Amino acid sequence: MTLKTESEIQAARDAADQMAVCLARELREGERVFHGVNSPLPMVAIFLAKKLHAPGSVLIEVAGSVDPRPERLPFSTNDPALCQGAAAIFSNADAYDLFARGGVDLMYLGGAQIDKAGRVNMSYIGEPSAPKVRLPGGGGGSVIMEQARRIVIWRVVHDRRTFVEKVDFVTQSGNLARVVTPLAVMEMRDEGLELGSVHPGVSVEEVAGRTGFPLDLGAEIPVTIPPTGDELSALAEIDPEGVRYSEFAALRRVER
Amino acid sequence: MSKLISLSEAGGLVRDGQMIALGGNSLSRTPSAFARELARQGRRNLIMIKTAGAYEIDLLCAAGAVAEVRAGYIGYENLFGMAPSYRRGVESGEIRVVEHACYSVIAGLRASAYGLPSQPVSGFDGSDTPASSGFLQAEDPYTGKSVYMIPKIRPDWAVVHVQHADAAGNARIDGGPFEDVLLSRASEGVILTAERIVETKFFEDKPERTNIPGFMVDAVVHLPGGAAPASCYPLYDTDEEAVAAFLGAADSPESLQDHLREWEVSDHRAPEAEISE
Repeated sequence: MTLKTESEIQAARDAADQMAVCLARELREGERVFHGVNSPLPMVAIFLAKKLHAPGSVLIEVAGSVDPRPERLPFSTNDPALCQGAAAIFSNADAYDLFARGGVDLMYLGGAQIDKAGRVNMSYIGEPSAPKVRLPGGGGGSVIMEQARRIVIWRVVHDRRTFVEKVDFVTQSGNLARVVTPLAVMEMRDEGLELGSVHPGVSVEEVAGRTGFPLDLGAEIPVTIPPTGDELSALAEIDPEGVRYSEFAALRRVER
Repeated sequence: MSKLISLSEAGGLVRDGQMIALGGNSLSRTPSAFARELARQGRRNLIMIKTAGAYEIDLLCAAGAVAEVRAGYIGYENLFGMAPSYRRGVESGEIRVVEHACYSVIAGLRASAYGLPSQPVSGFDGSDTPASSGFLQAEDPYTGKSVYMIPKIRPDWAVVHVQHADAAGNARIDGGPFEDVLLSRASEGVILTAERIVETKFFEDKPERTNIPGFMVDAVVHLPGGAAPASCYPLYDTDEEAVAAFLGAADSPESLQDHLREWEVSDHRAPEAEISE
């Protein structure tokens, strides 16, 4: 296990908290939201939103249940332990059908490569017929991304390998609203992805330097609202074990 | 007539080159012991069908048993990231990939379950996936709308790990069923591995809770712990140390054999009481 300095660890924890609240703020009261496999931050964010501003939203999740009330959040987001306290089982096939009927408002998706046009690669790095890296694949994404009303992408690294001029393979595209990273929130506009806000303590220049496509830096870029006291105490309450930190290399619980 | 057989016999039902769908999802209710048995028996050229897979697919890739994978996602989520043996196999060209969304795997399985040659699936506009996987569009005759048609996926065998089964092959799944009920309808044959073998009365008391009726099932293996190191709700959680040990062992054929040997005893443990209350 690699030892990390105290300040690196604190920075990663702050970034994870900021990302969790940014993701939570995307969910509106009364909406139907889905989270998939490998989605610790969105899972935590949904429970946070339900506790704070969106108690009437409906969570449908990949482990197969509706509005679960687990005693503790699992580290794997498709652990059946998540289903505790749910009044109904709703299988993945049911959930995908619901997406197909236009019945889901918000979905959080990951992305290994994302380009200016908001296209997402979860499949191959390099030439797809002879790939340099075979990625895990998009899961449900390549049909869901054009079926959910809004897509919010999260990615725990913000660098030029992720934000590229043009993705090597379009696993999925469509209905992208925002991208949340440890540095910033990007918004999908007519001209493509642009900076919506930068997180406290992050400079616009740093974000631009770590983004592999041009960003419009002409206008004043606001600073992301930091986590409020209410948000932080709710986070500590619903996620005492720090599931939200598990995606960050600096904070990984188990390392190979 | 009892369909109960040993794990070795059940593994022997699978032939080289066949199309296999292992049930469960990611590291949940995975037929892990069955996958290890296929590796021990040296199966080759298998075509693996999965919505979201992890250890079981990666293990069979490490063992050189896999020719093709059709799946939406193969990896260990944030726990351990990418599946290294799957990755290595694809990058070296030894393993073919038919890129899918989980939903298109489901559509292909539905085509088979519904007795159809293909099944329309909504979505995929603006994705390179259909072109790369050869999925074709057809026009809906009523509206003229173009839809992608996913060809039938009919596995030779569905292998499903369940909490409860009887000797006739009736099966009940606790917790999320994932795609396992569909798999049982879509596949040519069905093999169950079961945490506990119960009397048929268990199912007769609540027939609406039977996920797979016995007549659809070819073989039943009594296999407590058969999902490990994946979890089996509500009986045991994912054994993260064991998954990590496998990932450490999968780099060389010798250490992979050690991993398979290490699990051999528990995989083949014949329970003393075949039928529990």
